[in-house]
Order: sequence, then structure tokens, then C-alpha cells
Amino acid sequence: MARITAGVGSSHIPLLGVAVDQGKTKDDYFTPIFSGYEWTKEWIKGEKPDVIILVYNDHASAFDANIIPAFAIGTGERYKPADEGWGPRPVPDVIGEPDLGWHIAQSLILDEFDMTIINEMDVDHGLTVPLSMMFGQPEAWPVKVIPLAVNVVTYPVPTGNRCWMLGEAIKRAVESYPEDLNVQIWGTGGMSHQLQGPRAGLINAEWDNAFMDGLIGTSDRNRTIPHIEYLRETGSEGIEMVMWLIMRGALGAETRLLHRHYHVPCSNTAVGHIVLEPVS
Amino acid sequence: MSEIKGSVGPVGNQGDIAEYLAELEDIPGTRVYTAARARKGYWLNQFAMSLMKEENRRRWRADEKAYLDEWQLSDDIKQALLARDYNRLLDLGGNIYFLAKVFSTDGLSFLQAVSTMTGMSVTEYKAMMDAGGRSPEGVRSIKGGY
Ligand SMILES: [Fe+2]
Repeated sequence: MARITAGVGSSHIPLLGVAVDQGKTKDDYFTPIFSGYEWTKEWIKGEKPDVIILVYNDHASAFDANIIPAFAIGTGERYKPADEGWGPRPVPDVIGEPDLGWHIAQSLILDEFDMTIINEMDVDHGLTVPLSMMFGQPEAWPVKVIPLAVNVVTYPVPTGNRCWMLGEAIKRAVESYPEDLNVQIWGTGGMSHQLQGPRAGLINAEWDNAFMDGLIGTSDRNRTIPHIEYLRETGSEGIEMVMWLIMRGALGAETRLLHRHYHVPCSNTAVGHIVLEPVS
Repeated sequence: MSEIKGSVGPVGNQGDIAEYLAELEDIPGTRVYTAARARKGYWLNQFAMSLMKEENRRRWRADEKAYLDEWQLSDDIKQALLARDYNRLLDLGGNIYFLAKVFSTDGLSFLQAVSTMTGMSVTEYKAMMDAGGRSPEGVRSIKGGY
């Protein structure tokens, strides 16, 4: 049986991809960020996951203004890094897991989550930056990836509660897959940031840390945070944190904290990441 | 009523769409990308999206006005694009992730481009970020003034 063995929440800030690609990770500006990921890089070398269900959002790369899927799952064989306006990142293609991807897609639909299914797309910094943070610069990514894209751009975006429920359904789907696979789920984006308007640059370290606290143990208080609270407290782009709740929902009733890290700033954004395992 | 699996009922005001949408307009210095803005800015955002292709970026750089004339855009939008007036573009229905294609083509980072919307210089804005960013104190709600 396949099982979800761990969950990771992580920012996916484009500048971190630039730092990796241009060999700047040891610069003074970036050291406090990358050193926070050192523990996680070592940990994942030991864990050797087979597959990562990587929850992220597309930033107007694969999806334009025309079609806006609330929840979309990738069932393709491979995905190329997107050209976001400055050329594609020099990172390996992302290799998919169509068998498990289709299994999850079918299971979710029968579990009343009507997913959009994507066979071909390019993946942007939302997906490739977390891979770089965890795996550095390998010739090929050491895991297969099932992209799970969430609309957090055009309102209304899915509620936190719905995201949590989707996570629970993903857990059921993975556990009904016969092959023995070590699966992780990552929720990415955030933490507090606002990239637009005169209020840009907003950071709320206290709120971000309370949100991370709420992912640990048996707490489920994060699932009922309304959109307006993310917007007021963490900036307009802080809403990306609802994607961490898909990860949290997929870990079951209780989690154990393995590692957490928080740093301000990276570019316009608060960087945070957390590593959790399910307590069963 | 049958029990809905996992449901915890309406979350905050999310059960009342009018109140939900009104609150999205109650944040100082912020244009939440609502359906109304997405409709208004549809072709602006689609134009921006076209700059993901190197061939289009080359044509845009060669003659911005001529490239804009190929799109169904109002004069307001064309002016704001030529002036790189990002606050105005947000008012006209632009979304920052789409507009990012424009400033990336200009070779600007997110930090550089975002700072232009704040009334600060890039240096001042970067200094604010390095000092921990903008506090939410007093900029959470227009009506509430908190
Ligand atoms: Fe993002």
C-alpha cells in the first residue's frame, strides 16, 4: 500500500530559484535562508520518497486568464520549467507519476472532488523552487512529482476548509493504491507577502508563526480562517498559505513537528518552512 | 438534512457573497483580484501573458506602441502600460502575476517593480523589507481604521 509519510510546508519565492541558479546561496543575504533548509535537505536524503504530491499555484504561466481551474492535478509523464518572462530556469524536467496521478484523480472525483486533469503543462517557480530548496542542483530530480495546482489568484479562491478536506481525500486516495510507495505531500507558497499596491511589503511574523503552530499536533484551528483574515493580516499574496492546509489535511488527525524555520525577508516575502510527520 | 462529511459550515463571512465581496474592498492600498477586476482586465492580462514568448518580447521591445495596437485594449490601459504605472494597471484590472511578464521583460525583479507602487524609492523599500517589512498595524481595514 502507498502511504503519506511526511508533509512539508514551504515558501516558493522566485528569488530563491535565482539564488540557486546563479550560485548565490552562500551570499550574506541568502545564508540565513538556505541554512534553515540544511536540516531538511539531510532529512530528505534519508527519507528517499518515491513520489511527491506537490501542491502549488501557477502564477499565470501554464494557465492564462482564460481557464481557471480551482483544483487541478497533473497526470503527465513530464513537465518542463516555464519561461516566466526571463527564460526557463536551468533545472531538470520534472518527471510525473501518471499511474498514481490518475489513481488519485479518479479517487478524488468519486470522493466528490471534481478535479481538473492536466496532461501537458509547463511548471513555474511555484513548483520548481521548493524542489531546488530540498534537492539543490541535481542532474535529475530524485523523485517523481504529481503537481497539484490550486487557484489562489482569482477570487473567490477555495476556502481553507475545502483545502483541508481535499487533503483528507488525497490521504484516502493514496492509501487505496496497491503499490508500496513512499509518498510525501508538500504545500507551498506564502508566507506573509503583498506584491501589489501602496500596501506592498506587508509582513506579519507573529501571524505566520501562529499559523505554523496551528499545523502541529491535533489542532485544526487553521482550517476555518476566512480569506479576509489572510488578506488583512498577511498581505494579498499571503492567501497562498491555504495550500499548506491541503498538506495538513493529508497528514490525518495528528502531526509531529520535525523541523521549522522562519526568516524575513526574501525579496518582498517572509520565508517559512515546516516538516511534519503523521502520528498514527 | 444529511450530514456533510468534514463540513464545518460557512467559514467566516464566506456564506454571504455580498458581504464577502464588500470586505475584499476594505483593505487599504490593496486591489484584490476579484471576478469584477478579472473581467475588466481580461485582455490586459492576456497581452501581458503573451510576453512569455521570446519572439513576442522581441516585437514588444522593438515597438511597444505597435505591439499594443494588436490587442483590444483601451487607451487608458495602453497609456498605463507605456508609463509602467502599475497601480493604475491594477485599477484597470491587471493582476500582478500577469503584469510580472511586463516588468520581467524590462529586466526588473519583483522587489524593484513592486517598490514602484509604494511611493518609496527602491532603496527605501528594500530597507523597509530588510528591517522586517511593513507592519499590518493600521492598514488592515479602511472602515475599521485598525
Ligand atoms: Fe506563489
